[in-house]
Amino acid sequence: MNHRTLTAALVGGVLALAAGCGSQPSGIEAGPSAPTGVAPGMTLYFLDHDGNLTAQQRETGRLGTVSETVSVLLTGPGDSDVRTGIDPTPVTRTEVTVSGERMSVRVPVASTEVTAGGVDQIVCTALAGHIQAGGSTETRAGIRFTDTALEPRTCPVLG
Amino acid sequence: MSGLRGRLIVTVVFAAALGATAAAWAGVQQSTASLFEAHRRYHTEDLAGRITQAAPSAQYPPGRGSLDRLRIAAGEHSLVRYGDAASGDGVFASGAQVVPAELRQAMNAQADSEDPRVLTQRVRIDGRPWLLIGAPVMITAPDGTQAPSGIEVYAARDLTDVEEQVDGLVRGAATTTLAVLPLAVLLALLASQGVLRPVARLRETAQRLAQGDLAARTEPAGVDELARLTRTVNDMAASLQDSMESMARMEEDSRRFAADVSHELRTPLTTLTATVEVLHDILPRANSTRSADEEEARESAQLAVIETRRLVELVEDILDIARIDAGTAQPRWEETDLFEVISTCVRTRGWSDDVVITGPAAGPGGPTVMADRRRIDVTMANLIGNALTHGGAPVRVVITATSEGASVQVIDSGPGMPDDVLPHVFSRFYKADAARARTPGSGLGLAIARENALLHGGEITAANHPGGGAVFTLRLPRAPEPATGEVHQEQGE
Repeated sequence: MNHRTLTAALVGGVLALAAGCGSQPSGIEAGPSAPTGVAPGMTLYFLDHDGNLTAQQRETGRLGTVSETVSVLLTGPGDSDVRTGIDPTPVTRTEVTVSGERMSVRVPVASTEVTAGGVDQIVCTALAGHIQAGGSTETRAGIRFTDTALEPRTCPVLG
Repeated sequence: MSGLRGRLIVTVVFAAALGATAAAWAGVQQSTASLFEAHRRYHTEDLAGRITQAAPSAQYPPGRGSLDRLRIAAGEHSLVRYGDAASGDGVFASGAQVVPAELRQAMNAQADSEDPRVLTQRVRIDGRPWLLIGAPVMITAPDGTQAPSGIEVYAARDLTDVEEQVDGLVRGAATTTLAVLPLAVLLALLASQGVLRPVARLRETAQRLAQGDLAARTEPAGVDELARLTRTVNDMAASLQDSMESMARMEEDSRRFAADVSHELRTPLTTLTATVEVLHDILPRANSTRSADEEEARESAQLAVIETRRLVELVEDILDIARIDAGTAQPRWEETDLFEVISTCVRTRGWSDDVVITGPAAGPGGPTVMADRRRIDVTMANLIGNALTHGGAPVRVVITATSEGASVQVIDSGPGMPDDVLPHVFSRFYKADAARARTPGSGLGLAIARENALLHGGEITAANHPGGGAVFTLRLPRAPEPATGEVHQEQGE
């Protein structure tokens, strides 16, 4: 092996090193799941005449936050053909906190003012809003009434 | 760079450079991939999070304001599209032209797939490296099923910093690789020392052997191939030394035998000579009237005297040459006037009529050399005797002074010597003419002349004169080499 071959090999190696690096245009690579959260309106849960949960689309033009959605739920079904298991309340301010797969919904009503169907309404509405905004379908929601709190639970009509 | 050392250094350096380059290349590749992957993951998750955060408060179907709001949420250099409407800034200020068709098609396919993902592609825009992120925005139903919303978000993230980091990595790797080379040279030098030192020692030993130092050996070190080679060379030298010594012993023995035989013969021969001469002298005196028988006896006695003298001469010659061979000849060095010695030699042997001596006159200024007079006399007698016997009279002896010392030419008037005889004239017992085997002389005359010349540090050559006749030239230095004298003295003791 003579000098010229050696030099050529060394230079070639260094060039290959230099060329192998740097940012060359790459192919298409897939990353995390696509973002979500847009919707033409909110999904609210009310009770039909048989007392079963039924979803109602409220055309708000956007999905809104979970807190907003629950607040809208508390305002009642309006003049639509469904009932609610939650007593009317003048205050509809709610507070929603999410920690991992645990959601806590604070509502400005006492547990006595809400029927069992009404509890499901709040849980389902909160979880539906959470899922539509990209949250996990495994999330469980607990309700903190003004007087007591309910353990986290799942919505019977979801998942 | 050539030879074993050069080849070794080149090989080691090449291997080191190759190894270092390969390692650096692999390391840089790995680091670069990790660096880009970390950036990609961070930016895609960041973008998906930002959009998911902002989406619930965006109108759907989105108006101009909602597109702007989503774009602002996506950060700088982003584009939000819904149908024909679009909102973009930074590199997307003029729309989605910078997005490669490849990515746009992949985005369309992604929105309709079951598990839609955020897509990325690295591109160069105006020479700058960018990470293009494409995200289809989905509508999720309360039960978790997803459908495309028709909204697409593109974002571009500048990779200049990452590229600079990669360049830094490459520079670092190249520097490391280059830094390895001097180390490799050093290592190769050390390794070559280890390999070449035994080789050099072996060469030295071989040289000493070639110069005649048969006791030269190399101490073998280690158990490698070089050590085995060294041992083989030592074995070779040992067997060479053995055979040389036994040959020298045999030669020595045969010389001593010749000397001993000659020595033992001399005493009885001397007696024999005396006896034969007495017999020869007595015969004519016993009876003056010679009968045929007496005449025959007298001739026989005459022959016996001649042959006995020859025998004595032969024995003397053999003894002389044996002494020279054995190195026991001890010349008596003295200032010698060649003209005078040669003249005396010719006169005492009764050759004055047949020999013409020419040369610088005797006395101060004549060619004088440090020599042993007796040996010069013997040498000249042999040369001139040979010229008279085998060539023919008259014989010319030409003495000349030369820059080194003196030269003596003996030119006869014979027919000259055949070319095939010339190389052998100084060989012992060599007879030029097989038919004339019985010529006076021992057959050692020219050999002794040559040995004497060599003993004086001179030489003797034979040639044919262009004008006919053989020419023997004796060249003598002004003084013998001091070393020569010393050696002979040493051996004499």
